[in-house]
Amino acid sequence: MATTKPSGYQPKRIGSHVFLLVLCVYFLIPLWWLLVASTKTNSSLFVSNGGALWFSGDFALGQNLSALVTYQGGIYWQWLGNSFLYALVGGGGATIICVLAGYGFAKFRFAGRGIVFSLVLGSVMVPGTALVIPLFMLFSKFSMINTMWSIILPSLLSPVGAYLIRVYCQDAVPDELLDAARVDGASELRTFWSVSLPQLRPAVITVLLLSVVATWNNFFLPSIMLSDSKLWPITVGLQNWLVHSNVGSGAEQVWNLVVCGAFVSIVPLIVAFLLLQRYWQSGLTVGAVR
Amino acid sequence: MSVAAVAPVPTPVRRSGLGKLIRRRERWGWAFVAPFLIVFAVFLIAPLIYAFDMSLYQKGLVGGERFTGLHNYVRVFTDPLFLQGLLRVAFYVLVMVPIQIGLGTIIALVLDVLVTKLSRLSRLLIFLPYAVPAMIGALMWSFIYSPNFGPITQLFNALGLNAPNILAPNHIFAALVNVVTWQWVGYYMIIIYSALRAIDPSLYEAALLDGAGGLRTAVYVKLPLIASALIMCVVFSLIGTLQFYTEPVILGSAAPSAIPPTYTPNMYAASLAFNQGLFNYAATVSFSLGVIVFIGSYLFLFLTRKQNGLR
Amino acid sequence: MLRSTSSRSVAAAAVAVALLTGFTACSGTPGNAANPSGAAPKAACDNTITKTSLPQVTVWAWYPAFKDVVDLFNQNHNDVQICWTNAGQGSGEYNKLSTAVQAGTGAPDVVMLEFEVLNSFVVRNALVDLTKYGVDSIKSDYTAGAWKDASSGNAVYAVPVDAGPVGLLVRKDIFDKYNVPVPTTWDQFATAAQQLKTAGYPGYITNWPGNGGAGILALWEQANGGASGFTFDSTNPTNLGIKINSDGTKKVQQYWYDLIQKGLVAHDDAGTTDWTTKMVNGTYASYIAAAWAPGYLQGASGASPDAQWQAVPLPQWDTSSPVMVNQGGSTFAVTTQSKQPQLAAEVAMGIFGDMDSWKIGVEKAALFPTYVPMLTSDYFKNLQYPFFNNQTINADVFLGAAQGYTGVVYSPFTSYFYDQMTQANANMLQGKSSPSATVDGLQNTLVQYGKDQGFTVTS
Repeated sequence: MATTKPSGYQPKRIGSHVFLLVLCVYFLIPLWWLLVASTKTNSSLFVSNGGALWFSGDFALGQNLSALVTYQGGIYWQWLGNSFLYALVGGGGATIICVLAGYGFAKFRFAGRGIVFSLVLGSVMVPGTALVIPLFMLFSKFSMINTMWSIILPSLLSPVGAYLIRVYCQDAVPDELLDAARVDGASELRTFWSVSLPQLRPAVITVLLLSVVATWNNFFLPSIMLSDSKLWPITVGLQNWLVHSNVGSGAEQVWNLVVCGAFVSIVPLIVAFLLLQRYWQSGLTVGAVR
Repeated sequence: MSVAAVAPVPTPVRRSGLGKLIRRRERWGWAFVAPFLIVFAVFLIAPLIYAFDMSLYQKGLVGGERFTGLHNYVRVFTDPLFLQGLLRVAFYVLVMVPIQIGLGTIIALVLDVLVTKLSRLSRLLIFLPYAVPAMIGALMWSFIYSPNFGPITQLFNALGLNAPNILAPNHIFAALVNVVTWQWVGYYMIIIYSALRAIDPSLYEAALLDGAGGLRTAVYVKLPLIASALIMCVVFSLIGTLQFYTEPVILGSAAPSAIPPTYTPNMYAASLAFNQGLFNYAATVSFSLGVIVFIGSYLFLFLTRKQNGLR
Repeated sequence: MLRSTSSRSVAAAAVAVALLTGFTACSGTPGNAANPSGAAPKAACDNTITKTSLPQVTVWAWYPAFKDVVDLFNQNHNDVQICWTNAGQGSGEYNKLSTAVQAGTGAPDVVMLEFEVLNSFVVRNALVDLTKYGVDSIKSDYTAGAWKDASSGNAVYAVPVDAGPVGLLVRKDIFDKYNVPVPTTWDQFATAAQQLKTAGYPGYITNWPGNGGAGILALWEQANGGASGFTFDSTNPTNLGIKINSDGTKKVQQYWYDLIQKGLVAHDDAGTTDWTTKMVNGTYASYIAAAWAPGYLQGASGASPDAQWQAVPLPQWDTSSPVMVNQGGSTFAVTTQSKQPQLAAEVAMGIFGDMDSWKIGVEKAALFPTYVPMLTSDYFKNLQYPFFNNQTINADVFLGAAQGYTGVVYSPFTSYFYDQMTQANANMLQGKSSPSATVDGLQNTLVQYGKDQGFTVTS
């Protein structure tokens, strides 16, 4: 997909490089701030001799990390684990469902396909958060609020994902290939599994990335569905600590844990993004494939 | 705000003439789409219907529930709190969508012609905020904005200047625009960049040979070629902005006076439901917002139907 | 959605049903098999219950130090055990309770609620009148003001836990440094504000947070003879009286507005990190604070080690008839969803029903008790607070404030009230409305909202 650009086409690009440098600083500063802040104590977070962007005298990262392990029985790690669970099960499940549906829409001309597909396309435009409160009320009828299913099941829905796969599939999986497999006597499931799926890999990675990140970032839905703190994902848990520190009841303020917890929680995804660079960069190209 | 842009694909219409056997095989399509349709029905259609049903009834804090038809909608569209929130997100759309897509496009165009270490590094760095949950992004910025201990204030002080209170009501709009820009520009940049990479270079090599500069080539040759990707980016940015929720909620804990619980329609709905217990009215607000977003993005797609290639 | 046009879509529908039922079956979390309360959330408790054969009562409460109190209760009881869940701080928990009330399921048996939100849940029939379960027998154990705050008419909807009698915390070192006497009346306070400024103090005598809600209301009440401006009685819940735009309220609002205009009082939002920083770094020379606030300051301290805090009584408008006010404080209420209200009431009355549990509450959670045996004990009176240079702040300030407080009537929509108050104050501070117009506007907003909600409003 990514073609090599013509060479011999590189005049001075000082302006462009300065532009990029400025952008890099802008995009990096908040993350740098978070790294520095996570090494500070509760009070040096607010009054620090070195300023907000440099380390203070007392390097408290270790102290903060061990506090994350012990504070409220180490519930922080449970939240992080929950986030992983929701992201992997919800995002993974959504991907499987989308791949099946996209393939079905692309390669089978069943009765009613046109209507159903335009319905799906329309639903891309229904804002997800507008569904949160109705979903809550519906789930409460079936006593499903405050369960992990109340987070995972709604995450399975990704009309965009289905749409993406369908578009990609139409070109990447030629009908002739499928017909050949069918003539050889392969069942539809087998044809899908061994002929089509390998062709769809870049699209699958894109959809997986999008749905995992979306579930990982989710805040509105879990903050409304879950009252049991042991089920919270990291976003809701940290917000609770933030409010708890601001209100300050019970003489407990844990801004250092909020900040350090925020830092630790973004590390896995950032590392994953750095390591899997090749995959998401080629994956997202799917969007542009004709 | 979690979607990718997609270029159009012409659907080849292929009539198969093998009759019954083929038709039976095509029914397999239902089997493949069934799981999706179930999820679709249960988690999208059902809550929408349920919300609509709830919105037809009225219930105050005292007194019972009674059927009032579309009266709640009359109320919503004359409710200053809802209308103010709607107007506010409309302003955000007007400001944020051009910034996100514009900046994303400019960066992508620059990266498209540069093949240097810095350009590769910056592509990565600019995309990184996408890996940070919006809740945590807003949390970081709320600390950075602090008029007491934030780096921005410290910078102003070091220069001997009076630092503005970014968390004051008159600055909060720009403050939120910045948070969202930081969070999402990289994401749109990557999509647009991918679309640019997929252009066949022969298409603009000719233009370059004809003496057209890089800028002219970008504007007249490249951008039209990725129009559909751009349009999808705009639609997703539009949808995302209209349902603004997480960022103002988190920033609101640092600036309670500047960001009331009715700041955006989604916050208003949540506040009605959970702070005030007015679930029927909250359902009305949610449903109205959903309809407005749907109509808005549909209208946009309709107006750009020549360029976006959707059907 | 799925029209049965073919046998396959029928099969698909069957799969849907199977999936859904399967999922709901899975949704029950293990544990708590002994819990007879069907209405209680099935999630595991935040505490460990060793006497698993006993009936369990689910409790929502947010103080982290509450765990020790629960353990103590469970250890001392052989008829019932507490299953505790921290469902979020204040409004976070209320949101969840609110959703559970709406859903008709999911509420705990016993829930921690601040006094000021009790009526908001009473009006939604969410709370049980505890007089049926003998709560009157413990009435004499609680201060009169707290008991009134937990009651509506003759009904009692909660057992008081802690309270927030209001005093003034001052930075003695700052007042001394600029040689300004610590004020005892509001007139002196205004003078002192000017004196501090004139003497060169770079900060402000105090902060008046526009989003203060309960704190602002308390200051209004002080000028209204201790009345909140609301009348509401659960025996006739559709009648609601609203009169917050009294002359007293307007006087207080004008007083603070003038001090802010003169640059003598700050107006930073409370409950933010910036506010906390200023609180501990000497930007404010005093803090109008409820009795739980010292614990808060302690948690945030460390910034200026040479700060000398001292607690003094809240300044008065008229020293000949002083008015004591209260801000915040919490209770335990029993929900109408509880399938075991008798047992739940027993737990609500018992959690903080003895001295041992109160010692934990005072020392670990910095709570100010409403429990009279604790309040009148020598232990509490003589308790020295290192943060205040070993001042006995209870005997000096807060006990008097707590005993002088007579209780108020809270509105049945406190959350809405505070939100509107925050907005009204923000508009006033931006110069969009005068203090008196601000209060009048707030009054009109509340009356209209009350009518919209189906109340018969008198104003």
